[in-house]
Amino acid sequence: MKKIYGSEGLFIKSFLTSKLSKVMRIALTLFFLATLQIFAGNAYSQSARLTLDFQNASVENILNEIEQLSEFFFVFNYKLVDVDRKVDIQADNKPISDVLASVFSGSNVDYLVLDRQILLSPKTLISEIKTKLQPLTVSGTVTDENGEPLIGVNIVVEGTTTGAITDVDGKYKLEVGPDARLIFSYVGFETQTLAVGDQTLINVSLVPGTALEEVMIVGYGTMRKSDHTGSLASVSARDFELQPLTRVDQALQGRTSGVAVTQTSGKPGAGFKIRIRGANSISGNNTPLYVVDGMFVENINTLNVNDISSMEVLKDASATAIYGSRGANGVVLITTKTGKKGPAQVELETFFGISNVFQRLDVMTPAEFAEGVNFADGSEWYTAQEIDDLRTNGGEDWQDRLFRQGAFTNIQLSLSGGSEAVDYFVSANYYDATGTITDQNYTRYTFRSNINANLTDKVRVGSNIFMSREKDLGTRADLAMGLSWDPTTPAFDENGAYNYTPLIPGTGNGSNNPLIAPENNTKDYYNSHMMTSAYLDWDILDNLVLNISGGVEHLQMAHNDYIPIVVNSVGNASVLNQGVYNLQNTNRLTYRLDNNPDHRLQVDAIHEQQYTAMTETTARASNFFTDNTTYKNLSLGEIQNTLNSSADESLQSFLGRINYSLLNRFLFTASVRADGSSKFREDNRWGVFPSGSVAWRLSEEAFIDAIDVINNLKLRASYGVTGSQAIEPRATRSIPVTSTDQGYPFSGAELTVGVAPSNQMENPDLTWETTTQSNLGLDLGLWNSRLTLTMDLYKKNTTDLLLDRVLPAFVGPTRVVQNAGEVENKGFDITLGLILLDKGNWHINSNLSFSRNVNEVLALVDDITYFELGNIYSSNTFPVNPTRVEIGQSISAFRGYVFEGVYQTGEEDEAAVYGKVPGQAKYQDVNNDGVISTDDIVTVGDGNPAFTWGWNWNISWKNLDLNFILLGAQGNDIYNFQRMRMMGLGAQQFHAVHANYNDRWTENNPSDIPSGRDGTEFLSSQFIEDGSFVTLKNLTLGYTLDNVLNGIGLESLRLYVSAENLFILTGYTGFDPESTASGNMDVDIGIDYNNYPLSRSFSLGLKVIF
Amino acid sequence: MKNIIKHILKVVMLMAMFFVQPSCIDLEEDISSVLSMENLTGEGDVVAALAPIYRTMHVLLRHPCNGGKTTFGADDRTTWWAGNKAPFRVYDRFDYGSGENSDLRGLDGVWNDYWKVIYFANNLIDGLKTATAPEDVVTIADGEARFLRAMAYFHLVRTFGNMPVILDGYTPTGEEQRATVLVNYEHMEDDLLTAEASLPAPNAVEAPGRASSGAAKSLLAELYLNWGGWPLLDASKLTLAANKAKEVIDMNYYELLPIDQLWLLSYQNSLESVFSLQCSESENIYNAWTVGTAFHESRGWSDMYPELQFFFDFPEGPRKDITFFTDIPQYGFSEGQIFIQDPPTLPWQESQRVHPMYKKYHLSVNLNMGGRISGFRAIEVIRYAEVLLIFAEAQARVGENAESIEALNQVKRRAAGLPYDVPDGTVDVTTATPNEIVDEKGWELAGEYKRWYDLIRSEMLEEVTLRRSPDENVDLVRQPTKAQYISPIPYEAISTSNLEQNPEGFIIQ
Repeated sequence: MKKIYGSEGLFIKSFLTSKLSKVMRIALTLFFLATLQIFAGNAYSQSARLTLDFQNASVENILNEIEQLSEFFFVFNYKLVDVDRKVDIQADNKPISDVLASVFSGSNVDYLVLDRQILLSPKTLISEIKTKLQPLTVSGTVTDENGEPLIGVNIVVEGTTTGAITDVDGKYKLEVGPDARLIFSYVGFETQTLAVGDQTLINVSLVPGTALEEVMIVGYGTMRKSDHTGSLASVSARDFELQPLTRVDQALQGRTSGVAVTQTSGKPGAGFKIRIRGANSISGNNTPLYVVDGMFVENINTLNVNDISSMEVLKDASATAIYGSRGANGVVLITTKTGKKGPAQVELETFFGISNVFQRLDVMTPAEFAEGVNFADGSEWYTAQEIDDLRTNGGEDWQDRLFRQGAFTNIQLSLSGGSEAVDYFVSANYYDATGTITDQNYTRYTFRSNINANLTDKVRVGSNIFMSREKDLGTRADLAMGLSWDPTTPAFDENGAYNYTPLIPGTGNGSNNPLIAPENNTKDYYNSHMMTSAYLDWDILDNLVLNISGGVEHLQMAHNDYIPIVVNSVGNASVLNQGVYNLQNTNRLTYRLDNNPDHRLQVDAIHEQQYTAMTETTARASNFFTDNTTYKNLSLGEIQNTLNSSADESLQSFLGRINYSLLNRFLFTASVRADGSSKFREDNRWGVFPSGSVAWRLSEEAFIDAIDVINNLKLRASYGVTGSQAIEPRATRSIPVTSTDQGYPFSGAELTVGVAPSNQMENPDLTWETTTQSNLGLDLGLWNSRLTLTMDLYKKNTTDLLLDRVLPAFVGPTRVVQNAGEVENKGFDITLGLILLDKGNWHINSNLSFSRNVNEVLALVDDITYFELGNIYSSNTFPVNPTRVEIGQSISAFRGYVFEGVYQTGEEDEAAVYGKVPGQAKYQDVNNDGVISTDDIVTVGDGNPAFTWGWNWNISWKNLDLNFILLGAQGNDIYNFQRMRMMGLGAQQFHAVHANYNDRWTENNPSDIPSGRDGTEFLSSQFIEDGSFVTLKNLTLGYTLDNVLNGIGLESLRLYVSAENLFILTGYTGFDPESTASGNMDVDIGIDYNNYPLSRSFSLGLKVIF
Repeated sequence: MKNIIKHILKVVMLMAMFFVQPSCIDLEEDISSVLSMENLTGEGDVVAALAPIYRTMHVLLRHPCNGGKTTFGADDRTTWWAGNKAPFRVYDRFDYGSGENSDLRGLDGVWNDYWKVIYFANNLIDGLKTATAPEDVVTIADGEARFLRAMAYFHLVRTFGNMPVILDGYTPTGEEQRATVLVNYEHMEDDLLTAEASLPAPNAVEAPGRASSGAAKSLLAELYLNWGGWPLLDASKLTLAANKAKEVIDMNYYELLPIDQLWLLSYQNSLESVFSLQCSESENIYNAWTVGTAFHESRGWSDMYPELQFFFDFPEGPRKDITFFTDIPQYGFSEGQIFIQDPPTLPWQESQRVHPMYKKYHLSVNLNMGGRISGFRAIEVIRYAEVLLIFAEAQARVGENAESIEALNQVKRRAAGLPYDVPDGTVDVTTATPNEIVDEKGWELAGEYKRWYDLIRSEMLEEVTLRRSPDENVDLVRQPTKAQYISPIPYEAISTSNLEQNPEGFIIQ
């Protein structure tokens, strides 16, 4: 008999005598309740049968006998239960309830059978417990301090393992007994405990603090963070909402490890480049997959960053394999905000500011330039008198003309709220900016409406609508041509009219006054983007959920240009209309088995399909007699031509995923996805992409649990295969070329239409590019997560690369898309979070992310060792592409001659070997064959950084907050072609304008700046520079006023000042090391040529909530 | 309310079942907008396939810096010693010969475009084999494709040396090696013999831009003349050259125009024009020789102008006056318009480039098409004057006769402003050495893309270069030898194939 004596007995006694707190009683009750639930399907008390025969026996004896005969045991207190009472009992194969009913009949003692345990106590107490066992349904919404719903908040009934997790709208529902207490916990927030009492609706607002996160958004659904086995980086609105942002990249940059975010251009509204763990593909697209509220979207350039609630970057194959064919480049999941229950809340935020290019190039003065021209031509184009005049007054500073101060304004208005059944979030944004390069204006309007409704207890529906409209007006000045134009010719003559061409013909370069095009050309680009989606969640059974979602995305571009007669004498108009229509449907069935903490299981089965159709029409006209109608009346042009095209692509996918958690310590995830793409022919159409991962929560093991300082420790390992089909539709086909460029005027007048065979070779065998990735990860939380560390080590191998191979011209078609070769990316990501101070009025936290990726080409087609990319960068500028794909090198390794300075006086003989004379450039004869030829071109640099890092700080004291982010890259080279051009070498350049040329070699100035007219190479280490940098990307100082404003109906008001790119530390001599001419390409990263420089901006903002 | 929800659920279930059907979205690409060129069914199809071949040849030959880039070693052309003319200077200075400068800007474009002509022609010739178009349409188009294919090979082989043999009926793999110069010449001869038989007589062509049998015969004559010179030096082909040129003369169709009419826009596609590439002002398809040969002060590019010695040697007379400007036009540009400055000209010695400037291309100048001058006159590829000189030279090399001397004299008379077919004692000669005829051809066809090939086939390059004026501003890297007779093959062509670079890969026979 497991009678309880001594202190343990006291415990039971106090419980029953109500001397202990109610909390304990409820806890115990619910413990029993939980135990009951666990064994509900196997109720021993229902099936057990007893046979007893006692005459005048003490109750104690009878109880002892029952324990002997069965698995039942009794819990009671001697002071409350009289066990010495004598009774008679006769039972023949009776259930325990019958036996106990007769044993205690006529006494004040009642019993409660909880499976094998039987509680004995006075009748009053037992009835109280029995009523407590009647379940009560409690529901509500959990929000953060701003009223934003929190997803995945863990809610536990105190003292039990019963609980629930909030869904994507922050809602939860669970059954408890009365007087239960609920514990709400969520990472980054203070844990809150609330008594249920008799409430059925409990809404909770959590206060920021620290705790362990429990649920996270993953591909196709959510899961417990503790169960997650993959590698992902998460950014929440909390991380960036204090900064005035206008683009999504600003929210990600520097805050996520393993993710390279580059603002490639300073143009307002320009796109950005995001790479997750390096570039896999050489010719295919390496842009990650963007999923906004479950919808795949083409680009996120126009997405309103202020609408974002959180972003999850999926990095390893375990996390991305569920996206199969789409996941090879990583996935960025974006969740937008939803309304919270309660009265409508209105938020208004506005900021405005100015921006300027923060570094100028070192150029020659007009007088220096004139001397340079005389030197280069060996003729006196400028007399000594003219040069003197230029020295005192005259000429032009083209940087002053082509750059200007930009200004920007951003207004954001949002409205949110909800009732029990429906919630809504509606926002509108207006952003307007002028570029720092003459002459551009950008305006963007966005609108969002997110609505969710509970149709019944089991059915939930919602819809998201997003629309944006961009106006991108004005032609930018060409910096490559413009800054290398003749500085001795002022922009305007004495009458205020343009000086169209250099006062001395043939100086500078061959273009016209660089101000004319931006100031006179019309460029009106309009882009509209609409994205609508809807979903339905149906809890078919308690454990089975069906989710159906679908959406339509529509992009419409209208790009209109007009070059007026005043610029080129004829007038050229062009109107391009492009429409992209994208239809998507996802059907998901999720089965969850999570009522046993030792065996949690979730199974997802998904079918998905997508269809995209694109159409494009271009109409051009030229030879206008008037500039009045610009591009708006093409029929006024004498020469007209039109071209149009259409294409489509479709994708079918079937996916399955299993998550299993054993003993809360060992976690397994396996997924498989099959994709069929229309881009490949029938036999090669389907790709299957499996993945698997495991994790071990060491912190749940006793030997780690014993270490107080460690509150979280998890080891993760994953392996999986993902694919890519990131090529244009019809890449397998050879399609005849029809354009006016193929036509011919056989009679010297009108054109006869021409049809040329394709420049692309057919390749019906084309199939998926596959990436195999393995990942080892570690999550560590110390001192109650005041210090958190996430580390991941990975290796990605991409095979069957979709290569756009250049064919020798004699083959006919000059390219073929082929599956060949292998590229490897390996490296590690580290994220370190630190709460430095969280005491009183002070709060300081900091986040450091560090990423290293090494990219290497391992194999190519057949047995070749390198691969020419053709003139993909700029056929008119470089005869040899600045990079090529070569085994053993990274995919953006720069190639060039090795510059060794200038042949000096006395080196005539050495120079003569190479047909050179003193003053001409000296290059290394790498193969020592006495000739400087393309065989001497070697790898001279690498555009890939050795590592990148970002360091984010949040400091607050009382109502004052300071947020700043430092970022940097180390070890990346930049090919400074802007400088090359300005040194007088380029294709169209006649004379040098870069100040380096002031130090050109002469017999009296034995420098290393070549001064010869011939024999200087474009591609050489002379123009390679180290692009390492550290920049203070953003700094914001704000002050929040609250309470004091209640009188005027305001909930809070925040005022702030902010600066972007406040300083940059770099040895790079160009405008900045971040902007690049390479745009979204990966084979040519780190090229500086006619870049749009980044700017330094200052802004002032205000945010009001009412 | 409950009923409504049940109803909605039913609809949703139906939708779900519909979506789960895997065949809902088709995985086949929609290629209904793609034109199929498998069968050429009518004359329209055939002409549409011919157009890009002509157009590509036009792009190559319309401009001194496209196809003509590699011919700057000739004395009828030099370039600005400074500015952005480095690619031309490489050839003008003979800064090549051992593989260096194969990465010269624009050289790959020349190579690629000639191969494009060959690819398009091969494709058409193959297509015509199964074409259902009328037989005469097929025969003529086949002849034109072969004519243009031979012309492309002819330029390639003379510029870069022996080429891989890529003809119709063969699908290249990219692994091909270079054949010999001889094999290349034999294939060109085959094509031109077929073309000569297939193509209509010059008075029967459908449009002035389309090749005639006269054009095919003339090109064949030029091919034989080259075959008789460096590098094959097969003297037996000289008779064939003379006979073929004589056949053209005996067609009695072609004439020489008065020298003052020859280069006018209104006299394009005249009886002197054996084969020309067409331009179109209304389609803005231009002839860039006008802007390319003009100095910057004449709103041009200063790409190409005559070497001083060539100018000094050029015999005085109407032809010299039509060929060169000695007073350089001075144009300005303002408010979208080119205007004539005051003074309107400057003597060449005071001009920016300190050289005379080509005038023949300027006589059709258009001042109304932008900040630079432009031109829309058809580009002369083969003129009757050249046919006469091919005949005169080829015959002189095997034994001159009265007819060959008459052919030479016709060119000389026209150059002097006289009627070409009336003997005139003041200009007529009674005998001429082959090299004298080569020089005559240099003057007659100055700046027309011929001089370089004449200098190398007759091996006169070294001698002519020795006479170069010391006043030239472009400094020679070296005196040319046979190593400078052929250009390096562009870098990309070598690095994407198994072709061997010159001089190692240069195999004559």
